[in-house]
Amino acid sequence: MAESASGSADKSVQVKLVLLGEAAVGKSSVVLRFVSNEFQANKEPTIGAAFLTQKCRLEDRVLRYEIWDTAGQERFHSLAPMYYRNAQAAVVVYDVTKASSLEKAKSWVKELQRQANPNIVIALAGNKVDLVLPSPSTSGTGSSSESEDEADDATATPGETPGADGQPESLRQVPREEAQAYASEAGLLFFETSAKTGEGVVEIFTEIAKKIPIEHILASTRGGAGRPGAAGARPGARQEGVNLEENPAKSKDACNC
Amino acid sequence: MECVDVIILGTGLTESITAAALSKAGFKVAHIDVNPYYGSNEASLSVDELVQWATERSSGDHDDAYLQAQAATFPYISTSASTLPQSRQYAISLAPSIIPSIGPLISSLISSGVARYGGYRLLERVGIYESGKVRDVPGSKEDVFKNKDISLVDKRRLMRFLVFAASEFEDSKELAGKGDVPFVEFLRATFSLKDNLASVIAYALAFCVVASEPTLPALRRIRSYLRAGGRYGSSPFLVGHYGGAGEIAQGFCRVAAVAGGIYILGKRVMAVQTVPPNTSVDAQPTSGEPVTSFKYTVELEDLPEKLSCNVIISSADLLPPELRPSAPTHVEPPELPVVDLTGMLRCIAIIDSPMYFAVSSQTPQGSRSEEDGSTSLPDDNSHGKIDTAVIVFPPASLPGGSTSSSVQAMITGESSMSTPSGKWIIYISMLCCVGTTGTPETMLNPYLEAILGLTVSAPTDPPLKPLFTTYYSQVLPAADTLHDGLDPSVLVSPSPQPFLSEISDSTADKAEALFWKAISALKSFHYPQVDGIEAIWPSDTVQEGEDQDE
Repeated sequence: MAESASGSADKSVQVKLVLLGEAAVGKSSVVLRFVSNEFQANKEPTIGAAFLTQKCRLEDRVLRYEIWDTAGQERFHSLAPMYYRNAQAAVVVYDVTKASSLEKAKSWVKELQRQANPNIVIALAGNKVDLVLPSPSTSGTGSSSESEDEADDATATPGETPGADGQPESLRQVPREEAQAYASEAGLLFFETSAKTGEGVVEIFTEIAKKIPIEHILASTRGGAGRPGAAGARPGARQEGVNLEENPAKSKDACNC
Repeated sequence: MECVDVIILGTGLTESITAAALSKAGFKVAHIDVNPYYGSNEASLSVDELVQWATERSSGDHDDAYLQAQAATFPYISTSASTLPQSRQYAISLAPSIIPSIGPLISSLISSGVARYGGYRLLERVGIYESGKVRDVPGSKEDVFKNKDISLVDKRRLMRFLVFAASEFEDSKELAGKGDVPFVEFLRATFSLKDNLASVIAYALAFCVVASEPTLPALRRIRSYLRAGGRYGSSPFLVGHYGGAGEIAQGFCRVAAVAGGIYILGKRVMAVQTVPPNTSVDAQPTSGEPVTSFKYTVELEDLPEKLSCNVIISSADLLPPELRPSAPTHVEPPELPVVDLTGMLRCIAIIDSPMYFAVSSQTPQGSRSEEDGSTSLPDDNSHGKIDTAVIVFPPASLPGGSTSSSVQAMITGESSMSTPSGKWIIYISMLCCVGTTGTPETMLNPYLEAILGLTVSAPTDPPLKPLFTTYYSQVLPAADTLHDGLDPSVLVSPSPQPFLSEISDSTADKAEALFWKAISALKSFHYPQVDGIEAIWPSDTVQEGEDQDE
């Protein structure tokens, strides 16, 4: 994937970010908007990618997000614990045109608080605002923010999205203030986004980047395999991880017989 | 109605690897487990989950076929009554394992992309218990060189053996006619190795579990372990983070999901209907067309929508009764066969004190010996402190222990992400012979006490008590007898090998075989994908090559 292009891997901090949210709220679209902005050439999403990666510059630091999609395993509540392990950030997505999706988002936040690392930075994203706000870049009517959601057959749920024609404000089922109030109460970052127009998408990731305890991650992954998902970032854990895909020359103290 | 090509029941490592392979090969897979967690009999559990696992299986009264089968597999379970704080920070494996750095599992982890999901570390130490002490096992020629406990003559013999074991010994004169001789005898007779060195080689290098194990397979294991050494570090073995096998199973399941697989946990199969064959024959497409008729309809608990498929793969304990061979409706568990090895006794103990191996090569030291164990106080530093290790107790090495089986213990701590800081999990396993009387407690406690004796304590301290223990026994299934009489499109996945160093690779091999069986079952439904299958495994020639080139 694109990560190999980076020449300064030593300076970038790897951050595992997990996506959560009801089916068809646009989880994959939000990520693809974020990821493809910097990789215009590679607009066609990689089907079956282990995870997408994207760099995010923040003053003197470069964060490299390793973004995990649910791969549909949330559909029957069968997400593996592995999904949450060592995630330093989560984006919980709901659809502003579907009230029940915010309720679902709240239950995902609870699940994160139960399963994930206690210091995880959680952002709540109310997606599909292009459907409720007049937006200059909204071009077609039939298309919605799902248009890019082909990354993962397992999560794409075509046909569930309300059409964009109609009276925009009447489609809104989740008032901004209500979601905002919930987010501040639960200590979450909050954004309204449109994967379709790009509104608010990059902001999610830069605001998360500002809130991530970078020094802490650097300290805990130093000397390890350098991958948040693999080497782990449990505080104080000794980092002696092995990257299976590396096959270094036999070390001198190894048996070569 | 949701239509898939294959329904897989059970998320054990074998089924999970197979699910990933089928899904990546272009088949639509629905992967279902009655348990709310991944991994089935190889799961990694929190302490709370382990207590629940034990309680469900030992409560006796089972109306559910799966729990009945589980109770037959785990006939004895006893566990500490109370769980521990930070329960979720423990990843306790039902199938503790060490993974050879070169072998089928590592190959399939890499080629399937699952390697990117999990974390691994090197096994720090392998120790062998002899005369009240645990000593590091010399695992390489260099270790042998450096070892000061071995006399020069013995070193030369040991070297000669290691060179032999790393070679293509199959046609050698040393081995001629001796492939079936017990390995320990072979070592003594052919390489003039003394008892203690033969014991180290047989039990701590080849991980033999009984003295009668034949020479050829043991030699082959040693060769593959010797070759695995140095790939990622000096140890030939890796330990998977978060409990190993259970976490690896999750990784394969994620790969299957990313390729389009459907995952449904915590639901039992209520009914399986077989569509009468004539209708499906009528609808059978000519080759090249997508398959539109399905042989089975599966109904799941609490799920209004039924699933359809053409091939069902199931672990033995989840196989729906209506798919079992029709002749005996109630399959009586077979009389215990007259082989001498039928079950594993297992102990899981959690402790909060670090352990040390005896510092070898320094003869006089602050050690005291007692009847059933000894404590060697490390003189200076944490040099000998262990976090991830295997300790082997050869037969008859421990007073009160087994005289016929080698007992293997594995210790994992924080550095394999399986415990909170300052806690360690001890796994002890022992093959049990027919006719053995006693409980897992009485059989394994001498070993647990010997291991607890490796923690540092002042002589006046009371002996260390584990914070939590679970003892259980696990019946080893007779080899794949379930396949007889099954519909050809119903496959029962073979149970994994129960042994520490063999689980991972043997499971990967079995999963590969199961995958090809599934492909040939799918072939009879004229799936277009069966032509030009891309398996997640490197082609056979590569794997064979590793064994044969020199």
